[in-house]
Parts: sequence; structure tokens; C-alpha cells
Amino acid sequence: MDFTLSDEHLALQDSARNFLTKEVKLEPYLRTEANEQPVARDGLWPSIQALGWPGLVVPEAYGGLGMDYLDLVMIVSEMGRTLAPSPFFGNLAGTWAIERCGSEDQKQALLAQVAAGELTLALAVADPNGDVNGQSSAARATASGDQWKLNGKKSFVVEAGSADKIVVVADIDGQQAFFVVDAKAEGVHIERLDWRDITREVNSITLTDVAAERLPHSDADSWLWIRDRLYLVLAAESTGGAEQSLAETVAYAKERVAFGRPIGFYQSIKHDLAELAGGIELAGAGVQFAAWALSENHPDARKAAAIAQSYASEQYSAMTFRSIQVFGAIGFTWEMHNHLYYKRARANAELLGPPCDQREQLICMLEAEHRAAA
Amino acid sequence: MTTRAAGAVDAIYRLQVGFGLTGRNEMDFNLPAEDDARRLEVRRWFEENPNPTYDQLAKQGYTVPHWPAPWGLSADPELQLIIDDEFERAGVKHPMKINPIAVNQCGQSLLNYGTEELRQRFLPPGLACEELWTMLFSEPSGGSDLGALRTQARRDGDDYIINGQKIWNSLAHKAHVGVILVRTDPTAPKHRGLSMFLIDMKSPGIEVRPILDMSGHEPEYNEVFLTDVRVPASQRVGEEGQGWQIVVEQLQTERMKIANPGAMWGYGPTAHELVYGLIETGKIKDPLIRDEAAGLYAEGELLRLLGARNLSARMNGKPAGLEANLGKMIASPHGQRLSTLAKRAEGVAGMLRDDEELPLPMHDYGMFDTWDYCYWFGPAATLGVGTQEVLKNTISERLLGLPRDLDPTAKMPFNEIGRPELKAAS
Repeated sequence: MDFTLSDEHLALQDSARNFLTKEVKLEPYLRTEANEQPVARDGLWPSIQALGWPGLVVPEAYGGLGMDYLDLVMIVSEMGRTLAPSPFFGNLAGTWAIERCGSEDQKQALLAQVAAGELTLALAVADPNGDVNGQSSAARATASGDQWKLNGKKSFVVEAGSADKIVVVADIDGQQAFFVVDAKAEGVHIERLDWRDITREVNSITLTDVAAERLPHSDADSWLWIRDRLYLVLAAESTGGAEQSLAETVAYAKERVAFGRPIGFYQSIKHDLAELAGGIELAGAGVQFAAWALSENHPDARKAAAIAQSYASEQYSAMTFRSIQVFGAIGFTWEMHNHLYYKRARANAELLGPPCDQREQLICMLEAEHRAAA
Repeated sequence: MTTRAAGAVDAIYRLQVGFGLTGRNEMDFNLPAEDDARRLEVRRWFEENPNPTYDQLAKQGYTVPHWPAPWGLSADPELQLIIDDEFERAGVKHPMKINPIAVNQCGQSLLNYGTEELRQRFLPPGLACEELWTMLFSEPSGGSDLGALRTQARRDGDDYIINGQKIWNSLAHKAHVGVILVRTDPTAPKHRGLSMFLIDMKSPGIEVRPILDMSGHEPEYNEVFLTDVRVPASQRVGEEGQGWQIVVEQLQTERMKIANPGAMWGYGPTAHELVYGLIETGKIKDPLIRDEAAGLYAEGELLRLLGARNLSARMNGKPAGLEANLGKMIASPHGQRLSTLAKRAEGVAGMLRDDEELPLPMHDYGMFDTWDYCYWFGPAATLGVGTQEVLKNTISERLLGLPRDLDPTAKMPFNEIGRPELKAAS
């Protein structure tokens, strides 16, 4: 029984922090040009691939490092802390889809390439109408001989613009199924959305008779399995980002002087920050437990993921809002960090559904347990 | 992970914002297994002693297992959890619930600050729940500003003579022993001139009056008036002037226990029981109740996890207390929201005295065993053992390093505070 992180975890966290603190450059996003056109990506993603991070949780049998989700959150928290603009999240989503639903051959072929940094993936699950669970049949698959063809639209796809292959959730006669398409295939039209969180690229995809390979092992639980893990990743990002926002806000409150004192002296400011420090601490505990529970296939893992995501995204939203308030008007400007974190917080609270969705899932699980116990 | 598990530890931690420190193996949230040898040994004892007296429990070392011999077993937090678990399994009421002041925060001070005579005289009857203890700290003139207390103890030969008044004293009307914080040196700055004593609550000069609180239940709190109360110098805990240091440790210990996710100071029903009741009555179908119940359930689980993490930090030998403040800051309002949602779900019938609409599963909830009591006692949760405002000051100042609030009277001799020339100058 040990509820703390091991030396190895802390070492991984340290090295991730050192690497990202040095490599992530947010200045381009704070220039006025960034408001007019997307910021060109630098060499961050290739550097991350060179570190082997895309293969961190890919099983060793498929060429990955086979590490667990606690290791993953060590890195992801740091990516959240720095906003690390890169396709890491999108790639991870596509990777999990293949791990869960792919055939042996597909896993051997694709996952090894991801782990080696030779292939970047994305996952297209949301529909343009805002259904983030891919249930509204905006993309449909039809069999054509022993091949499949996809038609329709997907939206709110994270980092499709950087992907070589995209896992697309499409409908076969009302049943959700998973497919892989080449991002450059004929009939695939990817557009970048004017997404407020400019540290991520988010896309819409239009599919016209696109040749697709089916991932044969999807079932009613596939999307939920993937979503549990994506909740974990978002929660870890959000917690790291909230911690950074808190640290920057506390630092500012110690420096900025008003009415003869550093403003952190005033109770209205210090008390709010104390509350947020508590909430963020709780969020961190939730992320760690969910990471552990998912790694162990613990019966409470699905609840833990929903709890972690709902709580962390609310704390991140509250913290980044408060940060702007403490900074005052300067915190409202494009040139300061505050809006980048505020926008990531909002995005993370909607990308896979808002906190109230996760809370509804939680209650449904508790109701099911109650029935089972009766 | 259970409330009792997270609440088992009577410990002092150091907060690490972010991640905790370690030195040990892989993270593992599983409690010690059913076939753990230590667990089996404890279980066997309870099977052989199905109705143990508090005296037997104390002698076995199970009352305060984390204390050193002869009182406890120098148990690490894992063993503490096991023992607490087995108490519940055996259906034996923990002495902590009968005599919390002795068993939890104040008795422990005698280990580090008391004389051997003091330990031998007070710990056996205290741990055996034969002598109930009460805390005599707060005063009408100062609860949050405890350092400004006015009750004085004047040396007289081999005794001290105490005069003053205390308030918010639980169990004072039933107690045999009072743990009292008094001013022994009025010429020192306020925090420096304080000392702690154990007094006999049956001494001449002590008058206890119960305070009826808004819950209308059997009074929990009392006022205690002390007029020329004699206490032997041998019953002073620690040296003169050490009182503040001792009381700060006791408060940290007390706050640790309170940072559990129950409706009232960590005790009573939790979000688990709330959800149970809402499902049983069908009130879970209301979308707003549903959403709020889920949020409370989530927060309750996170409070348990925070407790678990602090527990492990303790196992890795980390000293001291800020986590207790963080936990209580979140746990106390959490408890208030639990009972408020329960009350709201009861609708207009919830305004009937002692009316319980939401069923509670069978369990020993201790004193706070109905949602009704928890609700009407609820406002006290964010007042006792540290108000929200004080906790937030402590957290923001000591944890986040923000500038400290000023107390212009903190450094001057206590007996010069409030003198007319000083008032005129401010």
C-alpha cells in the first residue's frame, strides 16, 4: 500500500519538465500575428517523437515502451503545464483506438510505426453537430466488395492536420464502427477550424468515397474504453495547466503593488488562491488514482476517470478565470499567458463533453451498482 | 478506500503541492490484504475478545497504536489502518469516539511534553475512557485569535491559581480532566506567555454551564468559569511559555481527523450514503439534484484520496501539518453541501424537526447520525477547529508564501495591548 509516486515516476516527471520548459516556446502565440493566422509549428513534435513518448504506453509486443498510465500522466501533466503545442493528444487518441479495436496485423503494423516516431495518428469521433461521442451517424461506411468506403463529415478532430493516418468513427447501419484512412487519400478533405485555443490544431474532415480499412474488434465498450483514457489525459493536462496558472498568479500577487502592499496581502485575493490551491491538489489526487486504476483494470477505473475529468476541468476553468482577475486588466491582453491557459481550460471542458456529462455518467454507474447490490 | 481508513491516522504531514515524496515502491491504492499476517493477528485478538473493555483495548495497544510502547505499538500507518478496519469489522466502538480529546490530540502531547508522572497519572484512565477529557482553549474574547486569551494562572507555592473563562468546550459537563491553555506571563508577547495544564474538573471554583445551540439538540458545548482554581505545578504540561507550541500541534492533529468526507467534521454520513438515499427515494431523478449529488460524490472520493496520499507521505517520514488545513478547508464546506442537498431533497417536510426522509444504510455514524442533525449543526463545521478564513490565511501565507496579515499586537507585551496611548497613536 503506497499512495505516493515512485522515484522512477518523479524522475520521469523531472526529465519531462526540464525538456518541455526548454523546448516549448509560447511567445509566437502571444504576438498579434497569432490572432490572424495559425502559428507555424516548430520542431517540438519531432523532438517528442525522438524521445519515444508516442510509444510510452504502446505495449512492448507492438514495439512500444509498455509503460503504465502513471508514467503517462507524468509526461502529460508537464505538457499541460507548458501547453506544448503538438499533435501528442491527437496521436495518442488514434493510437488507443487501434490498440483497442485493431486486428493483430494492424496493431503490429501501425503501433510499431507510431512508437518509432514514423507515423502520426488522429482520431475523428465527434460529429459536426457537436455530438462528441460519435453517435449521430454523420459519417457512414458502406461495404464495397471486401473494402469499405466512408462518406460524410467529422469535426472537432484534434490535430488531423499533422496526421498521416486518421482513425474515423463511422456508422454501419446504425452501429458505431472504427476505420483507418490515409490522411492524404482521395476524397479526404481536411480543414483547419478557427479554434480559439490556438495552441492546438482542431479540424473538420469531409469524406467522399474514401477507401478505408476497418478495425475489426470494436464493440459497445470500445469508445468508452478509449474515452476513459482520453478523460485521464485531459484531466492530467488540465491539472498541470492549473498548477502553472496558480504558480504564475501567486508570483504576480507577490510582486504587484497596490495601496502600499503586494496585492497578495489582501484577503480577497489570497483566500481565493488558497481555495484554488486546495481544489487543484484534489484534482491531482484524482488524476493519480485514475491513472493507477486504469493501469490495474480496477473495477472503479471508469468512475475514477469521470471523476478526474469533471473535477480537473472545473478547477482549471476556475483557476484560469481567477488568474485573469488577479492580474487585472493586463491579464486580459493577448500578449500575456493568461488567455492561452484560459482557452485551453475551456476547450478541455468541452472537447469530450462538459463536466455535467461526466457527472451524469457517474450517477448512472452508481445507479447500476445500486441495482446490482439490491 | 473508506472513510475510516483515511481517518485512521493521527499524524502530522508536510504538504507538497503537486506530488508527494517517496522512496518506496510502486504506487498502490490497495489496502493491506485480507490474508496479511498483521491483519490476521489483530482479527484473531478481536475474535478471542469479542466484547473488549476500553481498558483491555488500551493495554493491547489498539487504542493508540501509533504511539510508542507502553501505550501503543509504534504502528506505521498501514498497521493503523488494519487495526481501524478490524475494529469496524468486529463491531467494536473505537475509544476515539468516547474520549477523543485524550485519545486523539491532547493525550499525545504528554508523550513529548509531559513528565513521566503526568503520563502515568493521566494516560491510563484517559485511554481506558474512565476519565473523560475536555479542551479548555477558546474564550469569549477570542476564538480565532486564541493567542489573545485572557485566563491567567498565577504561581502560588507548589500550585498555580487560575482565573478566567472558557467557552465552546465539548464534554465539559461530563469531563474529569480539563486540558487548559492559560497565560502565565502577561509581560511576554501574547503567544509567548502561554502554558498548558491538566486540571481536575471537579476542583472547587469550576462552574460549567451548557450552551444551547441552534440545532436545539442536547447541548454539545459549554462555558466554563474558573474562579481561584488551584492546580498543582506538577500538572503543567511542558515548560512555562510552551503552551502555544503544544496547542498548535494539537490543532494540526485534530484537523487531520476532520478532513474526511463526512457531513459534519468528517463524521456522519458521506456522499455515498446521500446517493444511496436519493436513489432509494427516487429523488435522484431530479436533474439538478442528480448533478449536485454526482459532484459531491466526486469530491468526497477525492478527499479520501487526499487523505490516503497524506497517509503515505507520513509513512515516508514527512513531518508536519499544512495538509490538515487544506483538507479541512475543503472537507468542512463539503459536509455542509451534503446535508444541504439532503435537506433540499426532503422538500418542505425537511423543515419538520428530526424528520428523516432519506434512508441511511445501517452503520454507526457516531454523534452525527441523522441528516437533520448534520444540517442544523452544519454552520458550525466552518467555525470550529479553524474557521475558513483562518485556514485560508494559513494556507495562502504558509503554503503559497503570500504576504502575511498583520497583527500589530503580536510583538508587544500582552499587558500593554489596548493601552490608551497606543490607541491614540493608531
